[in-house]
Amino acid sequence: MSHWGWVALAYGVTYGSLAAFAASIAIRIRKTRTTLGENQ
Amino acid sequence: MTAQTRTRRWPWAASALSLLGAFTLAMVSPADSVQGDLVRIMYVHVPAAWLAYLAFAVTFVGSIAYLVARRLSWDRIAAASAEIGVYFTGLTIALGMIWGKSTWGVWWTWDARLTLTAIMFFVYLGYLALRRTTDDPIARANRAAVLGIVGAVQIPLVHFSVVWWRGLHQPPSIIRPDGPAIQDSMMLVALFVGVVAFTVVYVSLMVKRIELMHLDDRLDAAERAGDQPVAGEAVTAPNLGGSA
Amino acid sequence: MTSGFWHQVRAVADRDLLRERRRGDVLWITIPFGAIALLLVPLAVGTDAALLREIGPGLYWVIVMLFGVLVAVGKASSDTVPQQDASLLLGLDPAAGFVGRAAAATLLLLIFEVVVGVVAVGLYDISIIGVPWLILTVLIVAAGLALLGTLTGSIVNSTSAGTALVPLLVAPLSVPLLLGATQAYEGLRLGHSILSWVLLMVAVVLVVAIIGVLTARPLQES
Repeated sequence: MSHWGWVALAYGVTYGSLAAFAASIAIRIRKTRTTLGENQ
Repeated sequence: MTAQTRTRRWPWAASALSLLGAFTLAMVSPADSVQGDLVRIMYVHVPAAWLAYLAFAVTFVGSIAYLVARRLSWDRIAAASAEIGVYFTGLTIALGMIWGKSTWGVWWTWDARLTLTAIMFFVYLGYLALRRTTDDPIARANRAAVLGIVGAVQIPLVHFSVVWWRGLHQPPSIIRPDGPAIQDSMMLVALFVGVVAFTVVYVSLMVKRIELMHLDDRLDAAERAGDQPVAGEAVTAPNLGGSA
Repeated sequence: MTSGFWHQVRAVADRDLLRERRRGDVLWITIPFGAIALLLVPLAVGTDAALLREIGPGLYWVIVMLFGVLVAVGKASSDTVPQQDASLLLGLDPAAGFVGRAAAATLLLLIFEVVVGVVAVGLYDISIIGVPWLILTVLIVAAGLALLGTLTGSIVNSTSAGTALVPLLVAPLSVPLLLGATQAYEGLRLGHSILSWVLLMVAVVLVVAIIGVLTARPLQES
């Protein structure tokens, strides 16, 4: 693989996993807020 | 966009902006004379490693603060930091492996830093595994705090042992685990901005993760309240049978 | 620490050792488990004498770290919650309980190390050199691992995961002991000074002991 290929892999893994991690937190926040909204 | 939504979304906005800046600098900075463009991997690998250790330190401080002050907010800080820390530690290892494979053709080099990071990863995992086994928030906080302290205090000892061990068994001289020397000031700037950006990301993730913890606690409390009998014994079941 | 403290330590240690004499977990279960692990490895990697002599010492210490810790687990979590509450009410100092349990575990770990060590020397043709330093290493590892196992056992306590979680938690933290023991043996073989490794292992023992004593009461009150 070329140098830029490896760099792309590294940045893809970094930003991809970051987005997934952040999204999981955001989604759980949204779900919990919705559930609480129903109860209140 | 309401004021409340703006307040809730600032962590994501701040993170995205700083990452954009770091990315731009990483792409624009010059290639290294020895490593070529592969040096750009350093601009995410080093910040990730910095964060892995920072998150660990915060868990350590949170654990001590909890045992001293006995306020669950400190436990939440310690736990959130451990979760985020395990992620960044995993990311550091993954990027270290990509760096190793691209530079020397092997996925793992057993150098001191990579090995130490792998050990730290398991310490974090153990901390999170322990938290999952206890439901009672106070007991969980107590236990996690003690483990957090034991783990953190052991890490310097683990560090020394691993560094001495590698010192006695030098890898071949062509492999330099330390990475390229920073020759250009632009590279230094790119690295520094990367570290700052990742720190902003860490703070954002902490804020959001702790917000989620608060929400989960409120949900638990609401569910528990809902399970209790309505108005106690003043209300009896309706008499459905027979004559009335 | 008053004489009452050490009195309690002695009482707790005696009780744990008595339990072991009655149930024999270490003698009949943990030691055979360590021994059979030593038997299985050559079946998998090959029986070449030179290879086994090379990996023998390191493999021995790994088995001590991973399986030996089970010795300390049984001791720390064998008290049910009501038993612990009763101990507290009767005035048992949690710190004395910790030290007592760790002391009993140290002794049992020593037995484990010696018996499994004999098996290792036999199967892997390991040479015994530098006996005084070797004995010191075995002692320090026993104490360090016992302390780690007892403290971790107290942390995990009566949770559902129990026995499986303690080895997982101890394993990464036992690395300084593992490296210290293996490098000490290497050093003795090559004639180097191993003082720094011994001091590192002693540091582990001291650090875990201090943390264990300081956190005994907060943990007990969980």
